[in-house]
Amino acid sequence: MKTVTKNWAWFICIMVLILGAGIYLGQSRRTELGKGFDYSLDEYRQVDPSLIHYTEVEPLVPTLEKISALAVAPDGKIYVGGEDAVQRFPDAGTFPIVGIPTCMAVDDDGTVFLGMQDHVEIRSKAWKKTVWMAPGGKAYLTSIVVEDEYVYVADAGNRRVWRYDRAGGEPLEIGKKDSANGVRGFNIPSPYFDVDLGPDGSLWAVNPGYHALENYRSDGVPISSWKRSGFTIEGFSGCCNPSHFALMPDGAFVTAEKGLPRVKIHNQDGSLRCVVAAPNQFDEGVVGLDVAVDDEGRIYVLDPSRNQVRTFEEKK
Amino acid sequence: MKPKEKRDRRDFVRGASAVLIGGAVLSAARNRSPRLVWQIDPEKCTQCGRCATHCVLAPSAVKCFHSYSICGYCDLCGGYLRPDAKSRNTGAENQLCPTAAIKRTYIEEPYFQYTIDEDLCIGCGICAEGCDVFGNGSMYLQVKHDLCVNCNECAIAHACPSDAFERVPASEPYLLKSDRERRIS
Ligand code: SF4
Ligand code: SF4
Ligand code: SF4
Repeated sequence: MKTVTKNWAWFICIMVLILGAGIYLGQSRRTELGKGFDYSLDEYRQVDPSLIHYTEVEPLVPTLEKISALAVAPDGKIYVGGEDAVQRFPDAGTFPIVGIPTCMAVDDDGTVFLGMQDHVEIRSKAWKKTVWMAPGGKAYLTSIVVEDEYVYVADAGNRRVWRYDRAGGEPLEIGKKDSANGVRGFNIPSPYFDVDLGPDGSLWAVNPGYHALENYRSDGVPISSWKRSGFTIEGFSGCCNPSHFALMPDGAFVTAEKGLPRVKIHNQDGSLRCVVAAPNQFDEGVVGLDVAVDDEGRIYVLDPSRNQVRTFEEKK
Repeated sequence: MKPKEKRDRRDFVRGASAVLIGGAVLSAARNRSPRLVWQIDPEKCTQCGRCATHCVLAPSAVKCFHSYSICGYCDLCGGYLRPDAKSRNTGAENQLCPTAAIKRTYIEEPYFQYTIDEDLCIGCGICAEGCDVFGNGSMYLQVKHDLCVNCNECAIAHACPSDAFERVPASEPYLLKSDRERRIS
């Protein structure tokens, strides 16, 4: 072999060796992360079947896109809000709006109250519109309840509940930190802040940063509260949970969570009564499971991921 | 040495040097000309863990970033606490980060501040996963450009299962969620 050919052969061999060593060294560091780096919630997705006291029946399937608000009217009709419309069940009447409501309530005479991020849109039975602006520049309305005298509106952006008179006007502020009177303020890290009325007509609000449910008089004075933290089925986990709740006729709480999506019933003292739907009944990562209850104790869960209102009845 | 052999050797040395120098010049030119750098799109990242294991640097040039404007102040931080944490204090057994790189400081009731110790962070992304599942996604991974050597072919980009790596202008090297929020609003 000619010297020059030999030299080139050597040169190529050395280069291949260097390249091979580089690749080997590079690859050899590419081990997977060890067990200490596992993040798994599988254990918490499993629920003891004996705790599940409800069974799923046929869902309501709205023809609207992006469903986002749910309410049961006093006459038992179900209202679902979504992109540019509100739909009523069982008659499937559809009423136009502009935008996507963030929350909704319906009163005795069929008036619909829609939270539209920074204002409340009131629609009469004839669908005539009135608007109440929420105070403060950063309003994000997440829940509305209506009773005879007042309309309570939860505002996650301002971390307040606004109490409007039925005629609207300047609302009363509920939830401003006031240690002297036992008001710790609402801690709301993300836009999940729900309110409902107890069987006695008093206001209940979730304080999601504390995993707590708090009861207030209509003037904003706190009455009582309970909290439950923990990943196990008895508690609420992560921030902003329960993300939604509704009160049952007997004063128990139907709660829905995000992160580990599950729907449960807690007794008035906060202890777990039963499970309505376990995490494995929902699509992973679903958020915004608004809940509502009718007079017969049927539980409705707005499932944005399936664009359905899923319905659960107590097992016979 | 015969004159012919001498010439052959000279030719070889010249040729080999030309190959080496040419390669170096080409690679330097490729490195310098585009002012583009690698970055992770936090919306695409699925926290697979390869950012910690596939970077040519050890520890990785990928670190956890925290956008305070989104979140990062509550007691229940899902990026800080293990799912099975027994309590919410700074005990090692409660912390999700395997390297204790997240520092928790009490500010005032009910607020805390969570900061990332870059020297300890290895870019494993577990905190980002916990924050995504239970929080607001304010913790996420980014390539740190004072550490990254801007490889032509980023080894992590090559291995990324989510196609989350992209080239961005060096003048705007980060894809911060807080910037995105601002752009949307
Ligand atoms: S969990 Fe991983 S990515 Fe997060 S701070 Fe710790 S080392 Fe960094
Ligand atoms: S370009 Fe290189 S140094 Fe930078 S992150 Fe990728 S592999 Fe690491
Ligand atoms: S390799 Fe891709 S998906 Fe995996 S942690 Fe890095 S950016 Fe995220």
